[in-house]
Amino acid sequence: MTVYNIYIFNREGTCLYYYEWNRRTDCNMPKYEEFKLLHGMLFSIKSFVTRLSPIDGKNSFISYRTNKYKLHFYETPTGLKFVMNTDLAVENIQDTLHDIYNKIYVEYIVKNPLCKLNEPIQSSLFRTKLDEHVKSLPFY
Amino acid sequence: MADTDSVFEFLHMQIVEYIHDVHGKESENNATTKLEEMGFTIGQRLAERFTKETARFKDDLDVMKYICKEFWTALYKKQIDNLRTNHQGVFVLQDNRFRLLTQISDTEEFIVPAAKYLSLPCGLIRGALANLGIPSIVGAEITTMPMCKFTINIQKH
Amino acid sequence: MSRQNSARADGKKVSSELFTLTYGALVAQLVKDFESDEAVNKKLDEMGYNIGVRLIEDLIAKGNVGRCHDLRETADIIAKLGFKMFLGVTPVVTKWSTAADEFSLILENNPLAEFVELPSGHENLNYSNILCGVLRGALEMVQMEVEISFVQDALRGDDTTELRVKFIKRLEDAIPAGEE
Repeated sequence: MTVYNIYIFNREGTCLYYYEWNRRTDCNMPKYEEFKLLHGMLFSIKSFVTRLSPIDGKNSFISYRTNKYKLHFYETPTGLKFVMNTDLAVENIQDTLHDIYNKIYVEYIVKNPLCKLNEPIQSSLFRTKLDEHVKSLPFY
Repeated sequence: MADTDSVFEFLHMQIVEYIHDVHGKESENNATTKLEEMGFTIGQRLAERFTKETARFKDDLDVMKYICKEFWTALYKKQIDNLRTNHQGVFVLQDNRFRLLTQISDTEEFIVPAAKYLSLPCGLIRGALANLGIPSIVGAEITTMPMCKFTINIQKH
Repeated sequence: MSRQNSARADGKKVSSELFTLTYGALVAQLVKDFESDEAVNKKLDEMGYNIGVRLIEDLIAKGNVGRCHDLRETADIIAKLGFKMFLGVTPVVTKWSTAADEFSLILENNPLAEFVELPSGHENLNYSNILCGVLRGALEMVQMEVEISFVQDALRGDDTTELRVKFIKRLEDAIPAGEE
């Protein structure tokens, strides 16, 4: 199994963090454009999925898959969005994404007095911890 | 599950920011002094309440051991890792993972801003010592994040 | 040996006293720095807000809290999880308005105000005003705009300490450019 990459967006859609482990292709556009399009697509999927739902379906979007990869989506009540692309064999990883939020984002960004929230993440400690965490995942 | 640790860290963050905004404009030193003084009053009152029931201390070294163990554990959930002295009134307390620094990046560029978060803890130590009858000067230094050394210079008493 | 034992037993108490004393030192400093009590209140609210926006992430992450469906659920989480987790006390949620858009949090013990006596000449100082800011900041992050005020304060001689929370509106997600 493989983890390709991760995106973290804030409520406003700013990409706070991006990192790739095994991304093999590039989508041929500037990063900021990719972030904007991805966030826009997630926003649309989320609202459309909710609107289409025949039953009360808030927060029902957690992943989609193509025949090549799978995108996992986890959103906190504060509007942070954790997006991870993996290969198709990876199952539900909501807990993993919650862990990244809880053990890495909260610990090394929220509790770091030198990090402003809502600004792209510069902390090298965050980068190291996230990298270690992801590489230790059973499906990495 | 009262977990007041993070709330203290958040409060401390705001205090440091406020003091540096308001009192650090003219010189960084003003802000450092202010924070240290705040720490001093807090440390004094804390030691007052904390050591009420504890036995008298034998000597300065005994007090230092107390600061390194019980006091530090109560404040930062761990003991000081290393205590050294030149036996002439200078004590160096080394914390290999100082709690207020563990979330900050370990790269050089963060060491200077991170030092702002040490003034109040220095004052805390000085205040606690003063309350236990030991006047001192306390300084702190970050060597490699998140390691921190507090140097206590005991003043003649 | 008795020294070690009593110290160890006190560990938890010390960290909450550290918090209380530190807060007290901050208020004392603000009273020195600002001319009016109102300005101090405002600054405390502002600092509380900055704490609230961070604290809420810690609360949600640690407490594994999902989205709240109504204000009653929110009130419950504030009291039983928020206050409990960060201040070690659980306020009583009560005095709901008929429209269920306002409630009170009654604090029997206010941990911020332990060992505090209001200095004379500061009749308008809301000593614990930081709490209003914390709640405002935290709730804004979960898209609720609220107004918060102290209606009673034991420090001023009232029977209890009572915070009034008034729901104003739900904040909506901004729609990204080019979407609808």
